[in-house]
Amino acid sequence: MSAVLPAAEPVPQTPFRRFLEEFFESKLATLGFVMLAGIVLLALLAPLLAPQNPYDLAKLELLDARLEPGARSVAGITYLLGTDGQGRDMLSAILYGLRVSLYVGVVSGIIALTLGALTGVLAAYAGGRIEQFVMRVVDIQLGFPAILVALILLAVLGKGVDKIIIALVCVQWAYYARTARSAALVERGKEYMEAARGLGLSGTRIVLRHLLPNALPPLIVVATVQVAHAIALEATLSFLGLGLPTTEPSLGLLIANGYEYLMSGKYWISFTPGVALLATILAINLVGDQLRDVLNPRLAK
Amino acid sequence: MKIRIAFLAALAAVSFPAAAQELSVGLSTPVTTMDPHFHNLTPNNSLAKHLFETLVHQDDQQALRPGLAESWKALDDTTWEIKLRKNVRWHDGAPFTAEDVLATLKRIPNVPNSPASFAIYTRPISDARAKDPHTLILTTRAPHPLLPNDLATIHIISAKMAGMGTPDYNSGKAVNGTGPYKFGEYVSGDRVVLVANDKYWGPKPAFPKIRFRMITNSPARVAALLAGDAQMIEAVPTADIANLKKDARVTLASTVSNRIIYLHMDSGRERNSPFVTDTAGRPLEANPLRDPRVRKAISMMIDRNAIVSRIMEGEAKPAGQFLPETFHGTSRKLQPEKYDPDGAKKLLAAAGYPNGFGLTLHTPNNRYINDEKIAQAVAQFLTRGGIPTKVDAMPSAVFFSRGSKLEFSFLLAGWGAGTGENSSPLRSLVASFDPKLGNGAANRGRFSDAGVDAMIHTALSTIDDTKRGLMLAAAADKAIGELTGVIPLHYEVSTWGMKKGLAYKARVDQGTFAHEVVPAKK
Repeated sequence: MSAVLPAAEPVPQTPFRRFLEEFFESKLATLGFVMLAGIVLLALLAPLLAPQNPYDLAKLELLDARLEPGARSVAGITYLLGTDGQGRDMLSAILYGLRVSLYVGVVSGIIALTLGALTGVLAAYAGGRIEQFVMRVVDIQLGFPAILVALILLAVLGKGVDKIIIALVCVQWAYYARTARSAALVERGKEYMEAARGLGLSGTRIVLRHLLPNALPPLIVVATVQVAHAIALEATLSFLGLGLPTTEPSLGLLIANGYEYLMSGKYWISFTPGVALLATILAINLVGDQLRDVLNPRLAK
Repeated sequence: MKIRIAFLAALAAVSFPAAAQELSVGLSTPVTTMDPHFHNLTPNNSLAKHLFETLVHQDDQQALRPGLAESWKALDDTTWEIKLRKNVRWHDGAPFTAEDVLATLKRIPNVPNSPASFAIYTRPISDARAKDPHTLILTTRAPHPLLPNDLATIHIISAKMAGMGTPDYNSGKAVNGTGPYKFGEYVSGDRVVLVANDKYWGPKPAFPKIRFRMITNSPARVAALLAGDAQMIEAVPTADIANLKKDARVTLASTVSNRIIYLHMDSGRERNSPFVTDTAGRPLEANPLRDPRVRKAISMMIDRNAIVSRIMEGEAKPAGQFLPETFHGTSRKLQPEKYDPDGAKKLLAAAGYPNGFGLTLHTPNNRYINDEKIAQAVAQFLTRGGIPTKVDAMPSAVFFSRGSKLEFSFLLAGWGAGTGENSSPLRSLVASFDPKLGNGAANRGRFSDAGVDAMIHTALSTIDDTKRGLMLAAAADKAIGELTGVIPLHYEVSTWGMKKGLAYKARVDQGTFAHEVVPAKK
């Protein structure tokens, strides 16, 4: 608790600049950031970059099914990463799959963060019974394995990107709520909070303008880890055949499709989407690790 | 590649010597019950044949052979005399008599909550009595030449156990058969263990103990075979057949089966079929699938050869009707529909849908060989042909219950002719739905045509084999060729994989009969 007060810096630096400098001190984190930026760019530009729209069944050519990486199609296009069992260009499918993965991960992360942070901070601020109640709900939620809750929810809700996001928000908000509460508890006891209360500010204003912003750094760290977690969870659910329609495969579904060919030596159908998934999660985690180090006041230089 | 093979070889070397007395068999589809009268499903029937027997047996080509009945003959058009085998004993030691058959016939229509009843096979029988303990007289309501075929699907239970319910069978308490194996253990969704019946009247089975393991995941099943965890597996995945053929540790047995994979279309509802939309995805009031021209156009859009070569990797045969031509009652005229996307477009326009419409194809994803992939390929062809098609795949348990409640507009399914001739698919798939007659039980598109119904009806009461065959063929010509009530895609080729040193005669009915597995002759 001793190192919390921001020490006066002699150099006229903005906090953001300082943050950037500290962040890019690590080569690994820089690599992670570059990878992540690249992946995000690829995902965003997928419709422009992909040689084929893998979700348009009319564009697929069954006669090109299970071609090796580098093979040429009936029509003369080169499939750089080969094709899957339906004649779908793997490169295009992976680019579009990344889009889905990131979209699902980020959107569910933002919603869960908002929900979780609000409930957590409110619980900490309100204290007493409300806090007890909210935190017991969080405990119960965290007591169930995430995959189980998500499976049950999807079995009930059915298929679709929106349904996956709902399921992921439901399993994730509790992590944010718990982190937000503990951060808010620490902040609540601090002098600036007393000052704010002494000034007679309204509860809403104190929570939103003072408590929440100061509880944010640990939440950002949790968020990066959770986004990676959400992407992995979505892939798992798709692998199990829940979540997205079979004709619009995400990375998990691509891996599941290729898994059937693993024993017959057609490794690329499973392998390349697997590498893409791995790279995405690795990049996010590298960035997340460094964020944690930089934003952790205890490790501050 | 090399590393993988070396790794598997190492695995196999470690585990092969383990079981010699026990045969471990990897099944592809879970057995849902031990009650032989509860759920008429190929995996269930296949397993039941180890424990129970039918009066009439079917050989690997589904030709009829004496079973618990030594002989059968028609005394007149509607009366049959069946001579029962004399030296047969139940697993509990009691002798087998005509009383047991009577008790069986009585129980079959009265099994509570049966999801697919065997009653269609007992319904033609109006009266059954025992002339003496080993002679049975069966009377049918109308001339019913297919009685012996029907009897080949009815597992005989002992009269003592007739009062027992399905749970008693599943616990093993009521499983008292005459078959070559006795009940050992049943764990739903996981395994069935059987022990040899030393007192079996027929050829003694080669293995004293059988362990059926339900390994629904295809690569896992192959891995189990290669690793020696299973000495035999059914439904070898098509993707692995080429590699396994080259593998010196494995023998394969395969045959074209009696199972047709087909598409059913909602030709029953006049309007508001649940999954018919316009091309933009908005619900469509009219039901284009009622028009035979639209159904024909759909059939013409599908390149069966591409599906067989790409999805099935050659392990299937393009189909133009319900059964391969070698089966009784099949048509000589019907050929696999030619792939003709341009012709299909014209036909679709002639039917009033020049711009097409939208569909959702529903399919099981764990029942037939590559079921979900076939559905995706069909969706590809249809989408390209101007009928944007989505695919919704689900586990077979969900699929069949929803399909039978008519929740789909367009579905992919399969049918194996249990009786080994063409009346079985004709009655179940294209005869008008009529639970009283037992017709249309799997007619999930509610196709209905009075002409087809009449032809099937007359055929079924025609004693003369040749004449009946021609009539059934004519019914198929009309139902498939003329009206496209159902779109046949292909016949499955079923393949079994065994460790070297075992032999199995591949069965057209896709049954996995452990008692027919023998050490290969040197």
